[in-house]
Amino acid sequence: MTKLAKPKAGYTRRALLRTGGAALAASALPAPMLWAQDTKDIVLRQFGTGVSNLNDVANKVKEDLGFTLEMTALDSDSVTQRAATQPDSFDIADIEYWICKKVWPTGNLQAMDTSRIANYDKIVGIFRDGKLTPESEIAQGTAPHTVGFVDGPGGTTFADSETGWMTLIPTIYNADTLGIRPDLIGRPIRNWSELLNPEFQGKASILDISSIGIMDMAMVCESMGEITYGDKGNMTREEIDQTMAIFTEAKRNGQFRAFWKTFDESVNLMASGEVVIQSMWSPAITAVKSRGIPCVYQPLEEGYRSWGGGIGLSNSLSGMELDAAYDYINWYLSGWVGGYLMRQGYYSAVPETSKAFMSENEWGYWFEGKEATDVITSPGGDALAQAGDVRDGGSFYDRMGAVACWNAVMDENQYMVRKWNEFIAA
Amino acid sequence: MAPQGVRPGGVLSPGAPPAQTDGKKQKGRAHMSTNRHVLGWLQAAPLAAILLAFLIAPIVMIVIVSFWGATEFSIYPAFQFDNYEFLFGSPVTYRVFLATFKYALITWALTLVIGFTVAYFLAFHVRSLTMQVALFLICTIPFWTSNIIRMISWIPFLGRNGIANQTLISWGVIDEPLEWLLYSDFSVLLAFVHLYTLFMVVPIFNTMMRIDKSLLEAARDAGASGFQTLVHIIIPLTKPGIMIGTIFVVTLVMGDFITVRFMSGSQRANVGRLISNDIGLLQYPSAAATAVVLLCTVLIVIAILLRFVNIRKEL
Amino acid sequence: MDRRPRSFYVLAAFFGLFVLFLYGPILTIGILSFQGPQGGLTFPMNGVSLYWFRDLFEEQAVGDIWGAFRRSFALGLIVMVITVVVSVMAGLAFRKRFAGSAILFYAAITSLVIPSILVSLGVGLIFNQLGLKVHWASSGLGSQLTWTLPFGLLIMFAVFNRFDKSYEEAARDQGATSWQTIRYVVLPIIAPSLIGVALFGFTLSYDEFARTLLTAGSYNTLPLEIFGMTTNVTTPVIYALGTLTTLFSFAIIAVFLLAVWIMGKRRARLGSDAGQGV
Repeated sequence: MTKLAKPKAGYTRRALLRTGGAALAASALPAPMLWAQDTKDIVLRQFGTGVSNLNDVANKVKEDLGFTLEMTALDSDSVTQRAATQPDSFDIADIEYWICKKVWPTGNLQAMDTSRIANYDKIVGIFRDGKLTPESEIAQGTAPHTVGFVDGPGGTTFADSETGWMTLIPTIYNADTLGIRPDLIGRPIRNWSELLNPEFQGKASILDISSIGIMDMAMVCESMGEITYGDKGNMTREEIDQTMAIFTEAKRNGQFRAFWKTFDESVNLMASGEVVIQSMWSPAITAVKSRGIPCVYQPLEEGYRSWGGGIGLSNSLSGMELDAAYDYINWYLSGWVGGYLMRQGYYSAVPETSKAFMSENEWGYWFEGKEATDVITSPGGDALAQAGDVRDGGSFYDRMGAVACWNAVMDENQYMVRKWNEFIAA
Repeated sequence: MAPQGVRPGGVLSPGAPPAQTDGKKQKGRAHMSTNRHVLGWLQAAPLAAILLAFLIAPIVMIVIVSFWGATEFSIYPAFQFDNYEFLFGSPVTYRVFLATFKYALITWALTLVIGFTVAYFLAFHVRSLTMQVALFLICTIPFWTSNIIRMISWIPFLGRNGIANQTLISWGVIDEPLEWLLYSDFSVLLAFVHLYTLFMVVPIFNTMMRIDKSLLEAARDAGASGFQTLVHIIIPLTKPGIMIGTIFVVTLVMGDFITVRFMSGSQRANVGRLISNDIGLLQYPSAAATAVVLLCTVLIVIAILLRFVNIRKEL
Repeated sequence: MDRRPRSFYVLAAFFGLFVLFLYGPILTIGILSFQGPQGGLTFPMNGVSLYWFRDLFEEQAVGDIWGAFRRSFALGLIVMVITVVVSVMAGLAFRKRFAGSAILFYAAITSLVIPSILVSLGVGLIFNQLGLKVHWASSGLGSQLTWTLPFGLLIMFAVFNRFDKSYEEAARDQGATSWQTIRYVVLPIIAPSLIGVALFGFTLSYDEFARTLLTAGSYNTLPLEIFGMTTNVTTPVIYALGTLTTLFSFAIIAVFLLAVWIMGKRRARLGSDAGQGV
């Protein structure tokens, strides 16, 4: 192996990864000197939201794969903006699937060859044919598989089935619902419509990210019985107007304490008691809980609003950098990151590899919806649940099986965005 | 204003030593004037170049882009009035512009009263120069720390369970926490006043320090009360400082987008926020159109204010 | 000295309240930054410790504070040098009343009053359309200069308004060239004010947020990082950062004041060295 010429070294390594599995290969195989020196100099610039752009991941990459991963964490809008308008500023885009729908047509990303992805076959069905289990119905909105594939390396339109060329490699996803402070509400919450219940006037919040916020709004309006949508993920102008009118009125009546843009803001709002019911993301719940403040990720009758994130490669990546990026993707799906993310309440795209990086107790609590047998801690070491606690919403299949819609970009997106801006400014 | 604007300050400035022979000599050197212009431009060239590249060109660009079209992820050259039509066609725009003026006006009034009082105290009631400088520095020091941090530091103070509410409750002044302390117009204005009063204090203090103290003595000798001295001598003489402070405060408040977002919990909006929202949503042409309208508004306000003061002369 | 009038005490009390108003929130932050390890962003204090200061020096979950600090510091120094040099040159130029100076003056005023986000947006758009990369040291630098230069220029106006021209006349009468006059007469006299310009240039840049928002590119400056932290951080570590940056600002001011004081001393000892070189 040491005899191999420089340019080919990356390929050999890749083949190894495919057969051996990334984690194993990365940690167990002594890399040839020549190769290691080359890789050491490689720097890949990744950006994305704070959700998964964690320095811990970059450090682990350096340790396992040898190259440097530079992380920039931004809010969702900035992420879209950078992916769409600054193709030179990144090598790896860590974005959500609905953002992909916006960004792909710009040509800033390149399709990925699934035959180079070691664990491709183990990726959950949601990201491949759209079905969690063979019987599942596909929810409304921009379901990941609808923007997950293109016809070929240079494809510009999305394919409706698995083609072997993926736009994003799925990395992380979850089912979202409302977060509540049970201690301050003091009664069961069962429906999305509670968000606009006058009982919580001045104590509610919704997120100020148009594409996601509109979906939460739609869940609320539908639950109130005010609007019946043809497709929540692709509203008509009238539906958008009606939705915005209901929420604008609520805003004027002082229903909302604040809007939040990044999930940590929602943590502060909830933990300080400014807000008792709001749209929320899973790690925000765990962050509030870790301070000893009761907070529930409330399963609701109408179901969840779901989202998925993945890694896309910049179109300008080639040669050794591209090989390194594939190594990174294979490593990503090989379990360590999956375990890390699952211990925060997200799901990994390849759950079975993550299982090896979680304790039985953790796997039972986070994935299987079982009672915790011991204290559950976050990756940072904070206690999130005690023995006997059960995850809100239950098991992976209970939660992901009850998805009512996916985060989406609609045909009338631009109109919606302008209306959203009006709503925020109203 | 224009012809005075280019006059060298030394000639008219009250604080400067008399520049006796300047005028005559300039005339005598008329033959050197071409040389003077060339040298002047050479020395001003770096400033001119930077302003051209990073001020004029961006403004031109914004004006151009305001006529462009946008898809949801990119912008394309066009010449259309859609952006302006949408802007002027939406009632929200007028409300937001009104809110912007409201913030500017109230902040201006508050900072003026506070700034003037503070400057007045420093300039006329503190007697030793060392003390004046020391107290003045105390006022300016917070200015040197991060605006954002100064802003968010209000949040633990004003929140529903914040210090202010807890203190008031423990004193028995109120039974329920005051909701309007945070995420309201009140908190926005409070932050504005907190951030920008200094921009009023400094220029007013500066002009007050240049008022000839013998004028005040003369007024007192002539039997004027303290109030009369204030109204008839100090305020008129301080007007340039007030105007400069006004220009700072008004433009800072009108162009702000971050204070309103933080302090109102995104519940209120001003024009700056409209622009930054559009930018966040990749609607650059729409943002540019709003920016053009905002810029025109600000420049008109400033042009009006400049009628009352010759900045170059009064510094 | 006559007796203080009653108005003095009223105004002194007002001034005291004003100072309290200015410092109150900073003190709040200062106190909260000493929260115990389990403490949150709000009162009550959950123990007292230096935990969050130590935490600040360790790697955060997201972002890169110290990299941002280094960039901001470097950018501040670059802006400072350019601001001083360009402002002095422009200040000298404006004394010549060259043709078209009014236009340049109004451009500078516009630069001062234009909402920051417009500069950010415009520069970002230009770089984008030209296919250039936005970077804190190129587009970011230029955008910040549109903010610091007008300040520098206004200070230069104030300086030259108070400048006694007879020194120059004297130098010229003794046969100094115009360069010698500037180098050995004008610059030494205005030197202390230049420290003011430098201080302004540095701190305005160091704290600039809006103009760098869309022009900094991949790497955040400190204010952008702090902005990111306000939305990404849920622990008192952000207060610790606030406390530290405040202390750092104090240090900068102290250094500048010391420089002014030393210069004043030297001057007092040597007398004005204006004209010595001629």
